[in-house]
Order: sequence, then structure tokens, then C-alpha cells
Amino acid sequence: MKTIYCFFLVSVFWFLFSGDAYAMHISEGILPFNWAALWFIVAVPFVAYGLYRLKKVSAIDISFKPLVGLMSAVVFIISCMPIPVPTAGTCSHPCGTGISGILLGPAISVLIAAVALLIQALFLAHGGLSTWGADVVSMGVVGSFAGFFTFKVLRLLKINMAVAAFFAGLFADWATYATTSLELTTGIRGDSAFMPLFIKILVAFIPTQLPLGIVEGAMTSGMIMLLYKKRPDLLVKMGVIKSGEAL
Amino acid sequence: MHPFTEHFKKGKSRIYMVDARVKLVFAILLLGLILSYKGILFPAFVILISILTCIRLRLPLKVFLLRFSEPLFIASILILLKFFFTGKNAMFMINFASFTITGYSDGLKEGLMIACRILAATSIVALLGFSTIFTELIAALSWLRVPKSFTEILIFAYRYIFVLFEEALVIYNAQKNRLGYSNIRRGLSSFGTLSGSLVLKAFEHNQNLTISMIQRGYDGNIPMLRHKPFKPPEVILSALVIAILAFIWKI
Repeated sequence: MKTIYCFFLVSVFWFLFSGDAYAMHISEGILPFNWAALWFIVAVPFVAYGLYRLKKVSAIDISFKPLVGLMSAVVFIISCMPIPVPTAGTCSHPCGTGISGILLGPAISVLIAAVALLIQALFLAHGGLSTWGADVVSMGVVGSFAGFFTFKVLRLLKINMAVAAFFAGLFADWATYATTSLELTTGIRGDSAFMPLFIKILVAFIPTQLPLGIVEGAMTSGMIMLLYKKRPDLLVKMGVIKSGEAL
Repeated sequence: MHPFTEHFKKGKSRIYMVDARVKLVFAILLLGLILSYKGILFPAFVILISILTCIRLRLPLKVFLLRFSEPLFIASILILLKFFFTGKNAMFMINFASFTITGYSDGLKEGLMIACRILAATSIVALLGFSTIFTELIAALSWLRVPKSFTEILIFAYRYIFVLFEEALVIYNAQKNRLGYSNIRRGLSSFGTLSGSLVLKAFEHNQNLTISMIQRGYDGNIPMLRHKPFKPPEVILSALVIAILAFIWKI
């Protein structure tokens, strides 16, 4: 009964405030100082590893650094695109880190997310400087690794590439939203119990994030298949497919 | 609409002239004060000052409203979430069908506190973004010892956001004119193609960009803006304002 009550109230909120929903990013100022600092400390080693990988690869391939910059611009644009979510009557945004994780690897994808998030925080009030660490962990680290490993595991199981890419996008999105819920709960719960609030926030995200995950999966699948048809050489170069698999 | 300062900068406010490093350090310190404050008054004061400064900067109203729409939406949701779901002191109870809706006074207080914190922190960062040109902000980040590779990626991303955005718009309009978004199935397919085309464009631009940069002497590193020496009055004034704000924070 309590869950129905929560769902009812949350639905009322969504109707009252139907506008653009930016569920992927934790807004500036939500997290108190200690939690903001903690997530920052968690994010920094991943970003540092991404920078280390970038330096290593760009020492061999001089075009790699501009490519990472361009992919950051792509992720920035994708995560700013409003996608109508029919169940919630709102617009939401895909995160795009699933695809960058598949194409450039999770370490570089974390770096791409960190750059896109910083620009969004400074110039769009989308996310924030104080919540940059938390957003990098949810969208960059969890999203990229979830997308990358889902794709790799499904490909090892000989699953069709389009299906593998779909599930990679789907799980990257849902994993990001689950982590965002966790970060939000820890940040705003105050003296309340952790678990009930965590479930309420998860339920609050369901109307947008459940269908959005499917949209993100379809988008990732569409992107990978388009690249496979038009430029399979790029997928071979990125190590997504072997040269024998190219069309 | 362009989100970056250089595209809508109007007027000749002195804030535009202040060294980006001073503004960045000022904003970070103030963010720290806002986040560690447990109450409503200090963030409310910061919001008021920020709004007055935004008015002085003569920002287009549309830019201002767009920038604050997301934080306002999230702040409202959080107030409701805390009001109805967390707390111990019941303020009222309404029986609705078979449900009982309870509003908690301590939940509302906590919700308002978080909402004020969100709006104050957002207004400070927005003010920094409104009053500083992107390249200057990147130079300030490099002065703060942010790794050079990171700032280089920021520069590349910034350079190509507009190019790719224009291209995405052209593809989107072409798809829309051909009923590419007439139903959910076609919409998903069109969106996948649009995103894939953007990645393809990014790879194409990358090849051309690298060739042209190598021809101009690119060796894997981009030189950063040189910092001018600090202006002592700016630094002293900023330190004084932060000291006053810290005093208000303490009382």
C-alpha cells in the first residue's frame, strides 16, 4: 500500500511539474559539503586513469586527443538533446556514455563524461561544479563501465551486435540512474532511514528513466549499426570488432 | 540559443573585466560556504545578491530563465519529496480515497533548506559562467593546476560543439521534414541515425582537424593563454567580500 501511495504522489508531482526533466545529472548544491567532497575523491582516480590512458595512446597516435575532444562534444550534444518521454509527459536526456565506452573504452569514456559535465555545469546549469564528482561517478564511471562490459560480455556470448549494443545502452542508462538515486539518497536523507528514501527516489525516476533507457538502447544500437554499415574500418580501429567481422 | 557568454554578453559591467582566476577562486570558496551552511538565511542572501548582479549584467531574460529552469524544477521536487515523505512532526493529514497524505513540518524545513542551497549554489556558478569567457575560464583552470591534457580536451570539445550542433540541427530538420519522428518506432530509428551520423562527422572532422593542425606545427600540445599579473585591488576587494560573507555565514 505504501508503494502505491508513493507512486501516486510521485505521479502527481510529475504532472504538476511537467517540463524538461534532467534526471541524469545531480543539480548544483543538492549534496552537502562532505558528500560532494567524497564523490569528488571517488571520481578523481578514474579521471586520472583516463588522462594516463589518453597520454599513452596520444603518444602513438597524434590524432587521438582531438578525437577525444570531438567525442566529448558529441556526448555534450547527445546529453543535451530533449527526448520526449510519453509515460511522464516530459522530456529527458540520454547520457551517451554507453556508446563512448564501447567505442573508446571505459577509461577514456570517463574522461569524455568529465569534460562534457564540466562544460554543462559551467554554462548550462546542467549538473554542477560541487556535484561534478558525483555526476562523473554515476554517468562517467558507472555508465561507461556498465555499457562497455555489457557489450563485451554479450559479444563474447556471440549475441548479435545490434542486440548487444541495445543492452549496453540500456544498462548504461539504468546503472547511471540507479547510482544517481544512491548519491541523491545519501546526500539528502538527513536523519531519515536510507532504504525507504532510496526506494522512493528510484520510484520517482521510473516514469522517465525506464522508457529513456530503452531509447538510449535503441540509440546506441542505431549508432553502432550505422558505423558498422558506413565505416566498419573505424570499428576495427577502435577494437570494437575484428577485421574479419567487417562487411 | 548559444549558452556561452561571448554570444550574449552585453553592457560593460566591471565584473566582465575581473581576472577569471579571481572569479573562479571566489566562486569555489563561496560554494564551500553555501554547501557547509545549515540554514536558509545565508543561501537566500546569496541568491538575492546573485540576481541583482545578473540584472546589472543586463542578461537576456530568456537566457536567465533557461539557466534557472532546471534547478528550480529540482528544488520544487525536493521540497515536495521532503515535505511528504520524510519527517516526524506531522503538520496535517488528508484522507484521499484510501490513502492518507501527511505533510511534515521538519521535512518542509529541510526541503526548503536544500532548495535554497541548490538555488544559491546554482546562481553563483551561473554568475561565473555569465561573466567569464570560456577560454579565460580554461586558462584559469590551468592556473589551478588542472592537468593540461584535460584543458586541451575542453578546448577541442568547445571548438566543435557549435559545428556538430549545427550539423545535428540540419540532420534533425531533414528527418523531421520526412516524417522521421511521426511515431515512436520511426523516432527511435531516426534518433539512432542522427546520433550515429554525429559520431561519423566527429571522426571526419578529426581527420581534417589533425591534418590541418599538423600543417600548422601541432606536436600534440596546445599552448595555453598567458596569465596577466594579478591586479591587487581586484584581489583585495574579492578577499574582503569573501571575509564579509564568511562573517555573515558564521552569524
